[in-house]
Amino acid sequence: MNQTAQTEVVRLDGVAMRYATGPEVLRNIDFRLDAGSYHFLSGPSGAGKTSLLRLMYLAHRASSGTVRVFGHDIASSPRRSLPGLRRRIGVVFQDFRLLDHLSVRDNVALPLRIAGVDEPVIQSHVAELLNWVGLGNQLESKPTTLSDGEKQRVAIARAVIGRPSLLIADEPTARVDETQGVRILRLFEELNRIGTTVVVATHDQHLVDRFHHRVLRLEDGRITLERDGRAPALTREAGRVATPL
Amino acid sequence: MWQRRFDLPLGADGTTRFVPWLIAVMVYLAALALAAGMATADAASRWNAGLAGTATVEIAPASDRATTDERVGDALAILRATPGVIAATPISEAEVAELLAPWVTTGELPSELTLPRLIDVRFDPGTAVDLRTLGAKLSALIPGARLDDHGTWLQRLRALGTSVQIAAALVVALIAGASAATVIFATSAGLAIHREVIELMHWIGARDAYVARQFQSHAMSLALRGGVAGVLMGAATLAGFRALMGPSQGSLLPDVGLGPATWAALAILPLAAAGIATLTAKATVLRALRRLP
Ligand SMILES: Nc1ncnc2c1ncn2[C@@H]1O[C@H](COP(=O)(O)OP(=O)(O)O)[C@@H](O)[C@H]1O
Ligand SMILES: [Mg+2]
Repeated sequence: MNQTAQTEVVRLDGVAMRYATGPEVLRNIDFRLDAGSYHFLSGPSGAGKTSLLRLMYLAHRASSGTVRVFGHDIASSPRRSLPGLRRRIGVVFQDFRLLDHLSVRDNVALPLRIAGVDEPVIQSHVAELLNWVGLGNQLESKPTTLSDGEKQRVAIARAVIGRPSLLIADEPTARVDETQGVRILRLFEELNRIGTTVVVATHDQHLVDRFHHRVLRLEDGRITLERDGRAPALTREAGRVATPL
Repeated sequence: MWQRRFDLPLGADGTTRFVPWLIAVMVYLAALALAAGMATADAASRWNAGLAGTATVEIAPASDRATTDERVGDALAILRATPGVIAATPISEAEVAELLAPWVTTGELPSELTLPRLIDVRFDPGTAVDLRTLGAKLSALIPGARLDDHGTWLQRLRALGTSVQIAAALVVALIAGASAATVIFATSAGLAIHREVIELMHWIGARDAYVARQFQSHAMSLALRGGVAGVLMGAATLAGFRALMGPSQGSLLPDVGLGPATWAALAILPLAAAGIATLTAKATVLRALRRLP
């Protein structure tokens, strides 16, 4: 693997995407996520944020263009190599996607079980992490008995239990109050500080403005703005895409 | 490496509750078909062993007894002089009458009925005897003599035995196919019901084999349960037949008793059902998962 592949966690070139035979919901997408970066993906509902994240966590294939994850061109990677790539990605799904028949403990343990980690190691890691997110006394609860805020934290714990290099969170603050939302984003900053690349999709512009991270703005399936995190004043319109309307 | 823990709640959805019942019925039918096939094969080989290497010479009664006795003596002489004949034994009139007894309702044979005389001939299995020539020679030299080598009878028995065995094998194969279809149906239902969970597992890095294993274990335990129940019912039915037929049925009727070979075949049935279920579930899941990106 060459040097660029090491520093580029995700790279999309000229990517378009559609669901089945429907219209393209993403068009002409170019961007890269460098290792250790923290990005917001903003834009109104229906802009294509979830769709773009699905491309990144390998739940969907691009209809054109190239998607590279950890330096691998996904279209030409053998199918058997994809689970290994997916295990390096932690995903917080917009609708949590917790398994209601499993306890909180088993939900969070799932990625480690899938990866074949030894059971004693799983047990200690899971207990430790659930303590860290403040759910140490809910290990045996079923997700259906939890509040949205608690479910969100279980979903986050499951996403990070495998120490992913890339953390993808889809609207992680949408179903919690602002204080909890800020706490969650701070928690992601801690993970980012120890080297995790973070992408957070949110339609909440207010929240985006509170944190000075890089921003990719999506509108109607196109990137309309890329803002550099360190200099929030120097926003620039993405030159290659003419803003519609 | 037996993992009892399932990520997928496969037993909880109720869609597979019918599977052990269907498998039980199918294994039951397979057990009967298998027992029938094996019993027929067994009987056919006994008929073969009993009749091959033997022949009967029939001599029509002449007008007077002395002539008939003389012809029997001539026939015995010819037979005993033929290379390959181990024994030629005249069957006494009393024995012939006894053979006919079951077909005569009154018990006493009418005295005016003159019976043919029979000679039981045994050949050395190592020597090829030309039965056609021997028969022609007997017929030519002794009026009213006829050699019956049981060939037609044996041929029909063999054909019947083979047909029954082919039918039994066909029935077992059809049952295996129906079992596989049942498992495909149940597995597809499970895949549809648990689609979201399966997708999630796929997205967080589960290999196809990991997901398939859970369906395999589930299908295996369902089929094993149904299979054991089915084979027990089958064994009970066969034991019932056996009891109905009474002990020792001579060699003519197929023996439906449970010999060691039949027991072994029956014991294999639930395992075969479990094996079919496991492989079918695996193939079904892997096929479905290949459609995920
Ligand atoms: N599973 C799907 N099948 C078909 N169309 C979809 C599906 N999911 C999303 N879309 C469409 O794709 C577009 C982008 O949706 P999405 O990526 O969910 O946007 P966002 O996350 O920014 O709200 C929308 O027009 C939506 O209707
Ligand atoms: Mg969305």
